[in-house]
Amino acid sequence: MGGLQKKKYERGSATNYITRNKARKKLQLSLPDFRRLCILKGIYPHEPKHKKKVNKGSTAPRTFYLLKDIRFLLHEPIVGKFREYKVFVRKLKKAYGKTEWSSVERLKENKPVYKLDHIIKERYPSFIDALRDIDDALCMCFLFSTFARTGKCHVQTIQLCRRLSVEWMNYVIASRALKKVFISIKGIYYQAEAMGQLITWLVPYQFSHDHPTDVDYRVMATFTEFYTTLLGFINFRLYHSLNLVYPPKLDVKAESELKEENDDDYAMNSESYLEKLSALSASLARVVSTAEEEEAELDQFPVEGEDMANMEAREREQKHEEAQKKLFEGLKFFLNREVPRESLAFLIRCFGGEVSWDKSVCIGSTYEVTDETITHQIVDRPNIDKQYINRYYIQPQWVYDCVNAKIILPVEDYFLGVTLPPHLSPFVEEKDGDYVPPEKLKIMALQRGEKPAHEQEDEEEEEDDEEEEEEEEDNEEEGEDDEEAEEKNLKMMEEQRSQGKSLAVKVTAGKVKVENPARLEQEEKAEEKRLAIMMMKKKEKYLYDKIMFGKKRKVREANKLAAKRKAHDDAEKSKKKARK
Amino acid sequence: MAPSRRTKRVVASQPGFLNLKPSSGAAGLTSIRRKRVNKNKKKNWNKHSDINDVTEFLEDVRHQERTVGGLLSEKSDDHLFFLDVGQPKKAEQKVEPVDGKKRKGKAVRPLRIDLILQHDSLVPPAKDVLAYQQPNAKKLRRIAQKAEQLAAKGVVPRRQKQLLNRRPADRTAKKAVTEANNNPDRDYYDIWGQESKDTADPWYLQQTGKKRIKRPEKLNEKPSVLPAVEVIAPGGSYNPDFFSHQALLQEAHEVEVKKQKEEDKIERQLAVNKEHIATEETILREQVEGLVEEENEEEAAPNEQEEGMAVGAITVAEKKTERERKKERAYKVKEQLRQANRYQNDKRQQLFQLRSIKTSIKQEEQETMAKQKQRKANQEAQKAQPRRLGKLKFKAQDMEVQLSDELAGSLRQLKPEGSVLKDRFKSLQKRNLIEPRERAKFKRRLKLKYVEKRAFREIT
Repeated sequence: MGGLQKKKYERGSATNYITRNKARKKLQLSLPDFRRLCILKGIYPHEPKHKKKVNKGSTAPRTFYLLKDIRFLLHEPIVGKFREYKVFVRKLKKAYGKTEWSSVERLKENKPVYKLDHIIKERYPSFIDALRDIDDALCMCFLFSTFARTGKCHVQTIQLCRRLSVEWMNYVIASRALKKVFISIKGIYYQAEAMGQLITWLVPYQFSHDHPTDVDYRVMATFTEFYTTLLGFINFRLYHSLNLVYPPKLDVKAESELKEENDDDYAMNSESYLEKLSALSASLARVVSTAEEEEAELDQFPVEGEDMANMEAREREQKHEEAQKKLFEGLKFFLNREVPRESLAFLIRCFGGEVSWDKSVCIGSTYEVTDETITHQIVDRPNIDKQYINRYYIQPQWVYDCVNAKIILPVEDYFLGVTLPPHLSPFVEEKDGDYVPPEKLKIMALQRGEKPAHEQEDEEEEEDDEEEEEEEEDNEEEGEDDEEAEEKNLKMMEEQRSQGKSLAVKVTAGKVKVENPARLEQEEKAEEKRLAIMMMKKKEKYLYDKIMFGKKRKVREANKLAAKRKAHDDAEKSKKKARK
Repeated sequence: MAPSRRTKRVVASQPGFLNLKPSSGAAGLTSIRRKRVNKNKKKNWNKHSDINDVTEFLEDVRHQERTVGGLLSEKSDDHLFFLDVGQPKKAEQKVEPVDGKKRKGKAVRPLRIDLILQHDSLVPPAKDVLAYQQPNAKKLRRIAQKAEQLAAKGVVPRRQKQLLNRRPADRTAKKAVTEANNNPDRDYYDIWGQESKDTADPWYLQQTGKKRIKRPEKLNEKPSVLPAVEVIAPGGSYNPDFFSHQALLQEAHEVEVKKQKEEDKIERQLAVNKEHIATEETILREQVEGLVEEENEEEAAPNEQEEGMAVGAITVAEKKTERERKKERAYKVKEQLRQANRYQNDKRQQLFQLRSIKTSIKQEEQETMAKQKQRKANQEAQKAQPRRLGKLKFKAQDMEVQLSDELAGSLRQLKPEGSVLKDRFKSLQKRNLIEPRERAKFKRRLKLKYVEKRAFREIT
């Protein structure tokens, strides 16, 4: 029984982890500096599987890092900068204490600063990697850019965030990349597609901040510091991919249009350019002015094993998408002063519309209310005094719903003072069998190109006798319509039957039974499926049954919800009638 | 040295030599009687020969040289005499009787200490030859001459040519100031486009610690599978569909109920037991405790009895007899045999139970499979959960919900719920990027001491 005694905690998981305090001491940094370094370098704490082993027998809750990560941190040049900064602060304090202003000045001039460029390159070796991680960066930048400049964080940071977010918005406009938008009670969610990556970000409402106390601002500021650097580089690359000038410049033509005599009223000269950019009303300058380049069609490369039909479908889809991108093209909007200007201007410009606002609201308005060519005016108040006859007065939700539905929705539901249809979340993907709210069904029908013509007629009729009720009830009307249609059908059949009876004696020429090939095919398929089910093994059959049962259950639930909805709607309707 | 001394002696012996110190001669005359000493030894010569006259003379010569700048006898008459025409007029002093400048004149007068230290000898200091000598002077002179020749011809030496060829350093451009990261006007460039310019030798870079360490691949994995931005449920729309809104409300309600339950539980556990509350009776009993004696005595008596019993209960184990031991041993052997027989029998019997054994094995396997699956599923579910990274557990944020009557009719009247900042912060915690933490509490290092101010004390 010889040999060395094995000591506890000298091998295995105990040696793979290091506590936060030890790591901090190893790096010779203070805790805030250590935390900052970890955030910048993307090194996060780990929860070990066997805590007691790692913690050398103790069960006290501690923060652990992987030892290898900390060793990697030892090579970081920024660590040296952090130490330098510590010394700098000490010296500065001393100089202040001695009231040596000249040395304070000198020290401030030589303040140690560090760059994050190499960390960006290290953490995101390729551009696509960076683009995948941009969600957080965008959220942070938009959030910080709405902060008041009251000292919760550095004013310069706020300015930089504002600049970057404006650049991003301009990119989305220029590339027409926006896909979805959702107005929630928290803020506005946007989703765009850049280089094939879906990017979601959240923009808070303006002026809605009460600064929560349980948020660590220092940590957030560190994240923002990193993300601003990242977003800047990404913006640069994205702008160059579109042949746009970076930092963004307004188009020469647009700039001359925007140049007005009262520029100075809005902002100082140094700030007015950013303000004009953030107005989002003008297009950006390109490196090479390319009018014809955009028209170039994509070359078609038929891939082996892909039939023509498939390709055609793809082509059609592409065309459809192109059309969606030009949703608002040719429309001219005017924003009243009570609507959220930035969000709406962003949306409208993203889909090719023209937009303007009152001159006193913001810089960069291009035309006045009195312009006769305006097609839509977006208003968010119960009524308006002076109305032009040749434009629609609609509520802002129309724009958001149009973007989500990807078609121009009928404006009647969104007129002034009308109760709006619900704003549905575009981020919910319904699978078949799920409950789909009737509003969404309606939109889907519209997307398919079906026009609910008779419904409109009904509406018009109804408008004659009861004007106020018009909009909220189209759902019930739909239901009613269905019922009416059924009744009609029944009547027809009865008539036919009666006719048949009366003319039973007559011998008519035999009709050739037309075989519907599509139907035949369907039947065949159904038969095949049935046979396949019969041929299944017992085990598979069991599984299949289970799946089918699940589906049926879902359908059942959806039906239940739909019935509930109908009951609810009916109740509402009856209540309204009773009130009358 | 010797020749000069000789000449001086010669000069002194001459009749025309003037002695500056007349007393020197008289001193020599006083010692008439001389001690007789043999002068055949060098020691005696040194000791007893009288050299006073010579030293005095030399002293005198040096004195003259110091003060006059040479021997007086050799000086011409012009140097020694001048024509006395009375006090010379101090023209300069008369020019500046202005009272303001008088002081200045006084200030100009050198300090006494300087005067003392001034070099007042007229003999020039000895020349230090070594100071003037230059090593390799000849060579250098030759080189300089050659350079001069070449310059005359117009040939530029190589070093100068190199200097001229060097690019002039741009003095006007200030050293590039690295700007702070949050500078709003900072520049960006194509960081992914350009390849790193590693022109230097990689070995050199590695050895000097300038090479970047490669980032471990594992670090690029995300610590959580959750997406960065979790979109709020459809019920969180500003103008929601009735059912999705109800669903969201239901969810929020369940969260609230759970919280309430936990609170209730704690309250229940902390509630005061009714039996423990003092009634009038117990209070009275407590007050008369020790005053009434009968009860105490009664209680004490049974105690004593119990103690007596306890002492008597200890019994000594009896010793086993030999016979008993034998019996026990035999029983043990018999039992073992029986067990072995039973085991063998069972084994044999199992042959006929093969079927049921098989089924049981199968069942067991199925059970383990199911357990494995369950464990895998649990692990998958765990991945989306926030981990325990520190002292505190992750606490989810309160759900953002607006009640039916709070919902705004239009976008203008919308009241935003919750804070995006907090949402982002919690999201970071939820995705295990940072550990949940509490704000550090302010701890006073030294105790506060409250003292009444004197002014205040006087009033009261």
